[in-house]
Amino acid sequence: MPIRILIAKTGLDGHDRGIKLIATALRSAGMEVIYLGMHQTLARIVRTARDEDVQVVGLSCHASEHVAATAELRRLLDEADLQSIYLVVGGVFPAHDLQEIHAAGADLIFRVGEPMESVAKRLSELVATGNRVEEQ
Amino acid sequence: MSTLDDILNRPMRPPESEHLARAPFPEGTWSGIPLKTMYRPDDAASISYEQDLGDPGSFPYARGIHADMYRKHLWTHREICGFGHAGDTNKRMRYLLDEGNTGLNVIFDQVHMMGLDADHARAPGVVGMMGVNVSTLSDFHELFDGIDLAKVNVSLINPTASGFCTYALYIALAEERGLDIARLKGSNQNDTLHCRYFGYAPGSPYSVALKCAADNIEFATRYMPRWYVATFNSHGWRETGIDAAQEIAFCFARAKLYINTALQRGGLAIDDFGPRIGFYAGVHMDMFEEVAKLRAARRIWARIMRDEFGAKDPRSMQYRFGVHTVANTLTPQQPLINIARVAIQAMTAVLAGCQSLQACPYDEPNSLPTEESHRIALRTQQIVANESGVTKVADPLGGSWYLENLTNEIEKRILYWMDQVAAQGGMVEAMRSKWIEDQMHQGAMMEQHRIETGEQIIVGMNAFQSTDDKEELSIPIHRMPKGSAEECVARLEAHKRKRDAALVEKKLKDVEDSARAGQNSIRAAVESAKAGATHGEIMKAVRRAFGYPADIMEAADLGLVD
Repeated sequence: MPIRILIAKTGLDGHDRGIKLIATALRSAGMEVIYLGMHQTLARIVRTARDEDVQVVGLSCHASEHVAATAELRRLLDEADLQSIYLVVGGVFPAHDLQEIHAAGADLIFRVGEPMESVAKRLSELVATGNRVEEQ
Repeated sequence: MSTLDDILNRPMRPPESEHLARAPFPEGTWSGIPLKTMYRPDDAASISYEQDLGDPGSFPYARGIHADMYRKHLWTHREICGFGHAGDTNKRMRYLLDEGNTGLNVIFDQVHMMGLDADHARAPGVVGMMGVNVSTLSDFHELFDGIDLAKVNVSLINPTASGFCTYALYIALAEERGLDIARLKGSNQNDTLHCRYFGYAPGSPYSVALKCAADNIEFATRYMPRWYVATFNSHGWRETGIDAAQEIAFCFARAKLYINTALQRGGLAIDDFGPRIGFYAGVHMDMFEEVAKLRAARRIWARIMRDEFGAKDPRSMQYRFGVHTVANTLTPQQPLINIARVAIQAMTAVLAGCQSLQACPYDEPNSLPTEESHRIALRTQQIVANESGVTKVADPLGGSWYLENLTNEIEKRILYWMDQVAAQGGMVEAMRSKWIEDQMHQGAMMEQHRIETGEQIIVGMNAFQSTDDKEELSIPIHRMPKGSAEECVARLEAHKRKRDAALVEKKLKDVEDSARAGQNSIRAAVESAKAGATHGEIMKAVRRAFGYPADIMEAADLGLVD
């Protein structure tokens, strides 16, 4: 069964070079990618994640929203009884914030410079093993 | 016509171009132009000095637009600045001026660039994050507090439809200060379709964007002879992954579209505003390719203006440009090595004959700049200007067989890509059909492929990695001043309580009526701003004239925005 992953950006940010590359790379790797793209409200991301029955939600952040949006999205997923959905975060943010992003609920974090193959591999491992951030 | 899914479903490695040779980086330029191991006189033999180069300051300006180049005037040192509320940015701008910035380059936040105010439902979390938040004329007063607009050359960065209103707010500010707007020096980018690829498509529907661009050109031409009617921005699109030739080609295609839109209104001749057209180019890492690109751009623009638009004034034919060094060349890993990259790029921009320069701070891939990283970027410019010696002679690389050959090759490719846009039915159709987005995505995939395979080495990223995984943590990170976003909203609410609501309504109706009647709406926007109307309200009035509902973000969600 291929992994089903929803990827999106929230707020008004439109830096979508990265998220489009991720979509293409994950599809090439055989995953089913539901590409919501930019300008999504967190509520809509949660609704679509449920309707599309995804295993993973990926959030792409480039506008300093990486901690607040991650925390709020995790909260909304949990509130919608979607605790089993993994939340991963990628984009441009300082290394100084990695712990905080994890603490906010990101199971995996991807940053500029990581090869796409490694992104796909780490996602597959996450879904296969279920090793979430709190267990790491 | 492609859908976004067609584009995203492409194989990860894009197909080789059918028409243009592409070489891997060890044998080619960054953009893939094949190179020989050395160049000889016969590689530049086809060049006619008079026709293809000319002296600096002479048609076709391949060697630069001024005969004496930097001897008389250095380029404007124009570090970009914008974050938080108006007061936050004002403080940083004054700091930069004190440190030797010779012009201002103000960037606005996502809320403002979308044509919205700080109290919009989608604003929480992004107010002041990637630029300064400005909703009202009082915000503008604070933004430029203590800065003499009669003296400082100001660039306002908002290449969306709402740049129209940013410009109107600036005019209103100057008039309330009692300044003669005919004496103001500066520019607003007025490249209203540019930011459709950075998330601002909802705020810049094609019809609204072209109206705003033409209004801006018309108004500046009539009333502000020292203000640039546009600085068309090629830099931003380069960040998406397109190559050096595409950067210039796509920008020229947009520039021609705006110019034609303004000319079709009647009343303006090309030489009325041709001398006040500027550009804003990217400078990437490959020094010779970038210098060749900008020389080729000068040659092509001179011919476009003379031959296609029939310009007679030589100043209309001069491609004058500011530079923004390409930020995606910088690495978050080992951030301090970005200082070296930016120094090379700043030097490149100057060797190419730029008129102004924003050199990226080294922490660009980590966060907004700190005072320190901002100052180092400015010092980098100052070292190039005052110590390197490259400023003494115009077009110092001219005559290199390699550079002249490469200039010719990039010129061919720019013309090729301009033809490709025309074959798509022009720029709007090329954008609507997602052909442009496909080019961007293919370019991004190509770069990604080259980096991942190691064909292209990026120091600190795919080679020469740091052995200390804490190295990135050693730099300080700029943090948004606490309460800044809340302050923006609170001020806006207070502003709305104080104003004469009936007067605001009346003035906004003037904006909408003028837009509906196909008239220029800048003066009505200026008067609205003075009466207390907000940026978001003025843009709403313009959009309403084109049939767009009050909330453009909701309309976009429903697929109602063209």
